[in-house]
Amino acid sequence: MFSGWNWVAHGFYLLLNICTFEVSGGLVQSCGHIIPESPVLALGSNFTALCILNESCLDFGNIYANQIIWKIKNKVVPKEQYREINRTVSSVTFNDTSSLATPLTCNILADGQIEQNIYGIAVTIGLPPEKPKNLSCIVHQVSKLTYPMTCTWNPGRHTFLDTHFRLKYRWPQENFPDCIPKDVNNSCTIADVQFFVNLEVWVEAANALGKAESDPLVLDPIEIVKPLPPHNLSVNSGILPTVLKLSWENRISGAVMKLKFNIRYRTIGDTNWMQVPPEDTASPRTSFSVQGLRPYTEYVFSIRCMKEDGVGYWSDWSEEKTGITTEDKPSKGPPIWRIVDASRSPASWTLHLMWKALEPFEANGVILQYEVTVRAKSSLSSPPEKYNVNTTNLTLKLPNGTYEVTVIARNRVGASPPSVLLIPASNSKAPVKNVRTLPKDGKLWVGWTAPSSYVLKYVIEWCLVSNSSDCIIEWQNEPGNVQGTYLKGDIKPFKCYLITVYPLYADGQGSGQSVKAYLQQDRPSKGPTVQTKKVGKAEAVLTWNHLTVDEQNGFIRSYTIFYKTVDGNETAVTVDPSKTEYTLSSLTSDTLYTVRMMAYTDEGGRSGPDFTFTTQKFGKGEIEAIVVPVCLAFLLIVLLGVLFCFNKRDLIKKHIWPIVPDPSKSNIAQWSPQVPAKHNFSSKDQMYPEGSFTDVSVVEIEADDKKSFSEQDLKPFDLLKKEKSTSEGHSSGIGGSSCMSSPRQSVSDSDEGETTQNTSSTVQYSTVVLNGYRDQTPVQVFSRSESTQPLLDSEERSEDHAGGGDSTTQRQQYFKQNGGQDETNTDRPCFERTKQIISANEGDLVGFAQLQISSQSSQPLGLGLEKNTQEAALPDGVQTNTEGQTMRPETVEGNPPSADEMPKSYLPQTVRQGGYMPQ
Amino acid sequence: GDSWGIFTFLCAALCNLPALPALNCTEELGAGQSIQKTYDLTRYLEHQLRTLAGTYLNYLGPPFNEPDFNPPRLARAERVPSATVDLDLWRGLTDNARLAANYRAYSRLLCYLRALDGQAGTAELRHRLGHFCSSLQGLVLSIAGKMDDFWLLKELQTWLWRSAKDFNRLKKKVPPAVVTLRLEARGF
Repeated sequence: MFSGWNWVAHGFYLLLNICTFEVSGGLVQSCGHIIPESPVLALGSNFTALCILNESCLDFGNIYANQIIWKIKNKVVPKEQYREINRTVSSVTFNDTSSLATPLTCNILADGQIEQNIYGIAVTIGLPPEKPKNLSCIVHQVSKLTYPMTCTWNPGRHTFLDTHFRLKYRWPQENFPDCIPKDVNNSCTIADVQFFVNLEVWVEAANALGKAESDPLVLDPIEIVKPLPPHNLSVNSGILPTVLKLSWENRISGAVMKLKFNIRYRTIGDTNWMQVPPEDTASPRTSFSVQGLRPYTEYVFSIRCMKEDGVGYWSDWSEEKTGITTEDKPSKGPPIWRIVDASRSPASWTLHLMWKALEPFEANGVILQYEVTVRAKSSLSSPPEKYNVNTTNLTLKLPNGTYEVTVIARNRVGASPPSVLLIPASNSKAPVKNVRTLPKDGKLWVGWTAPSSYVLKYVIEWCLVSNSSDCIIEWQNEPGNVQGTYLKGDIKPFKCYLITVYPLYADGQGSGQSVKAYLQQDRPSKGPTVQTKKVGKAEAVLTWNHLTVDEQNGFIRSYTIFYKTVDGNETAVTVDPSKTEYTLSSLTSDTLYTVRMMAYTDEGGRSGPDFTFTTQKFGKGEIEAIVVPVCLAFLLIVLLGVLFCFNKRDLIKKHIWPIVPDPSKSNIAQWSPQVPAKHNFSSKDQMYPEGSFTDVSVVEIEADDKKSFSEQDLKPFDLLKKEKSTSEGHSSGIGGSSCMSSPRQSVSDSDEGETTQNTSSTVQYSTVVLNGYRDQTPVQVFSRSESTQPLLDSEERSEDHAGGGDSTTQRQQYFKQNGGQDETNTDRPCFERTKQIISANEGDLVGFAQLQISSQSSQPLGLGLEKNTQEAALPDGVQTNTEGQTMRPETVEGNPPSADEMPKSYLPQTVRQGGYMPQ
Repeated sequence: GDSWGIFTFLCAALCNLPALPALNCTEELGAGQSIQKTYDLTRYLEHQLRTLAGTYLNYLGPPFNEPDFNPPRLARAERVPSATVDLDLWRGLTDNARLAANYRAYSRLLCYLRALDGQAGTAELRHRLGHFCSSLQGLVLSIAGKMDDFWLLKELQTWLWRSAKDFNRLKKKVPPAVVTLRLEARGF
């Protein structure tokens, strides 16, 4: 078999390994084995193993002990540790087992080359157990008769081996079964122990490398009991309001052990326990009366126990039980204060009495009502007024005076001592001085300097100053011997409080001294909104409103105004906080400024919104200084110009307005046989001497002009006339003359019209002969024809010449309209027509009026026929009338120069210069 | 028992001896505690038995749990040591006799009690009975232990006294000259 192995070993190393495995498993008889098999070794000890070869293998393969190679895992053990004991046995020695590992194999070098495994062992290295230390035991009571004992110990170092612990215990002559720990190695519980007999307890630890025992512990289990706490605790109020009686049941018999107790208690809401003096509860009992409690207060109790002699352990605290002490009379009267409102009427007060509800420890029960007594000090005879109220305030209307108010709080048991407040007619006594505040530890401290006389007590009033709510007064009393206190209330940061200190004396009270305070300041919640009130050239008046109290968040210490131009640096100005207006000066004119404002408290500032304004270009009065002289200069120039024009009016007239010859004064007039008659009736005509008009050619030119006017310009004038249908005066020298005749008149009344029709282009003037009315001599007048059209109106013309026809029909209509008008306006149509005819240079009304009048007198026109004939029938009246008319130009001389042009164009020519002759 | 009272008195007397200041009072206290402990144990056993007997008799049911029930004593019950001894007679006995009677009675009672253990019907009763037996055994061992300790000390004292006499006699047999001679022989 060995030879076969050998043969295989030459070729297949793998197969060799399998064979080795088989050898290790012991399935096949191997060539050798190692002693000891599976040793357990102590760490650090020395160890020697032997490999013993079988004789049979020696025979087959020439294998001897000197060929043995020892290996730990795959590492060859140095040859120095080998020793060949004989031909078949080799030993290996390790001085320290810590260098060992599993497996330790015995191998052989077959044929000097191939290594072959003979045998292997598993080596276990560990430590012997240490002596268990710190053994201690406790007996936990779990029920009335069950007292298991639990012992714990320190198992010592880790042994790397399977180590068993046993808790052993015995009486001197009696052994008990060991207690074997479950899952742990450091404690064990003995289910039942007997008291009053000493028990010896110790721990034994054991593993493959050894065994160790702890020091024995000799104890009587009764000395290490932790009992169950008393149960069924009950709390009962006793007769006294300061006592509560506790009762409980103990769960351990007095025969087993006598107990002592601890009782602790606290009020509901308090976390700190108070304890009944232990010496009071150091003896066995099942009840105890706790004294010195506060009336009408709920207490929580809890109790624990232990062996009376103090040997053993305290139990846990029992479950908590509560109880309430009974009520007692209130221990003191409620603090009282008042607000006197004297504003309603001068003779009486509205007295708001207010008092504070007693603290629970003072009330000693439920306050059922307050009894208020108000006694007028001034009239001792009047009986005191009594009020029973449930609230803590009372409002009374009383006449002015000194009163003593007493308040008593009453609960189910009785009444409190009275609280007295003296309300004097006036707070005439000395006030406190130097009221000051200081925030400290999140509270607001108020201090004051006491007045010199004895003060009974102080009342500190305070209220939150706010825009949104009224000042709701809170107050507190302080004894007369203090000079400072913390405000007892919910004082909020960033809010303004108004604090007032009143000293109360036995016989009066001092006036209140107030101070404003903040518990904590902050920056204002917003900045002031600044506006301009007035903006000048170099200065601007800024105005703003103070921040409201709610916005201030602190005392406003200063304002700062920042202003700047668009591209300039910002300039800051600090302003006193009391001001609401400030004038910025030295500004640049006509410049956009941005201004904002910051309000500062001690904690910082906050900026308001930006406001922009532009300074003015001119200062105050500058514009006036410029405009007024300019206006004056202008007026002066105008005046000078007018004067100049006035002086040079003849020259101007000559250039602008050449003299138009009056056809009525032409020499043609002399052709008429009725000239003398004319002279008789018309003063005007008389003015024109015969033969004054000699230049006929001039008249023809005029006729051309007329034609051009009448045919081309009539239409526009018609429109103009419609627009200005009433009394606007227009006239011209030319029109004035034409006004004296109408075409129709001349057509209808003249027999010579047909001849003139034929020669219309050359003969512009016709003689209009009016028949006298009744017996009167008709007035004969020369009238100028308006147009060059045939004087007799014909259908042909209207057909041939629509434009001209239009103008005439319009005229006719117009005449009709005017004819329907008031009789006094008979001259109107004439005027209107004049207007149509006149050229662009419209004349003056005055001048025209003169013409009208002259025409009235001289020409009885068709429209105003009746009247004119009436006038004509009264020559004297006409005479006077015409005289009046002729006089008028003189009176009108004072009118503006233009108004004089008309008469000048006629009258001077005829009267002064005797017609056109000079021309 | 009175014997323990005497023992205690002796110890107290020893403790107070001016010649033995080393024996301080803590040891005297310990001795007192030992007797106190045995006393506590008897009280504890009495307390246990009260509840145990009530439970067991209730387990047996009427008429055994009736307060005045008095069944006849059988032969086996006769073997149970009777405590119905006249009080004066018991007090007239010596401590020794009473201690012996105590020990004998408890030892025998314990054996019968253990027999009772197997018959107890309920687990609760068995548990209580087992606990009581253990405690009673503790009492027996406690008494026995104290007696053993006593006799250990007593024997030791006797042996020491006897040994002292023996050595004293031997000392007188040996002549002083011989001793001197031997010394001389060694020295020279």
